[in-house]
Amino acid sequence: MKLSKKEISILIEIVYSIVFALIFLPYFYENHEKNLILMNDLIEKIIQIIICTIIYFTVTYSLLEVAFKKKERRDERDDMINSKSYKLGYLLYELSLFIFMGYLCSKLQNKELLNQTGNQELYDSFVLTDGGIVFVILLVLGFISVIKSSYQFYLHRTL
Amino acid sequence: MILRNNLKDIRQKKGLTQEELGSNVGVSRQTIISIERYRYKPTLELAMKIALELNVKIEKLFYFV
Repeated sequence: MKLSKKEISILIEIVYSIVFALIFLPYFYENHEKNLILMNDLIEKIIQIIICTIIYFTVTYSLLEVAFKKKERRDERDDMINSKSYKLGYLLYELSLFIFMGYLCSKLQNKELLNQTGNQELYDSFVLTDGGIVFVILLVLGFISVIKSSYQFYLHRTL
Repeated sequence: MILRNNLKDIRQKKGLTQEELGSNVGVSRQTIISIERYRYKPTLELAMKIALELNVKIEKLFYFV
């Protein structure tokens, strides 16, 4: 299977999303019960993510430029593929955000009801931290990014 | 009604490669391949450019079946 430069750059994005999820999401999962201010080395982790991202894309795109010296032109078909895949990503993002907001609201409501019953143990189990919210949002973003890029790759191969 | 085209035949008669035609009308080789395989319907602007480049009337190049 011979891949074009555009297809390889999409694969680079997919690999990045998966590697990002495997390397950095466990950190946010481990700390999901804490508030952001209580997370150990959060700033250090964010700096690590930024540096790793810059290095990863610089190296991969430089290698891509070396491997494919000829410049590929961007045309209306690419625009159509991009608009279709970004539309799918946007719809999925909207949908997941909607579901997540619903989940948060129901949890807050349940918490309030539990407060009235006076069951402290159950009440404490419904603690909602911003660490947990950040983890879910990052997870959703990573997942949607993989789906969007995979769909983009599929369209490049089949259209 | 399905949109079809004679692009491959006309292009070959003119002795142009997909790469050359794409380059002349400002699109990639993949786009020309997709049009020839009926996978992608070009915009009117691109269809007109291709017809001009191949020196044929647009209705000879694209037609409905």
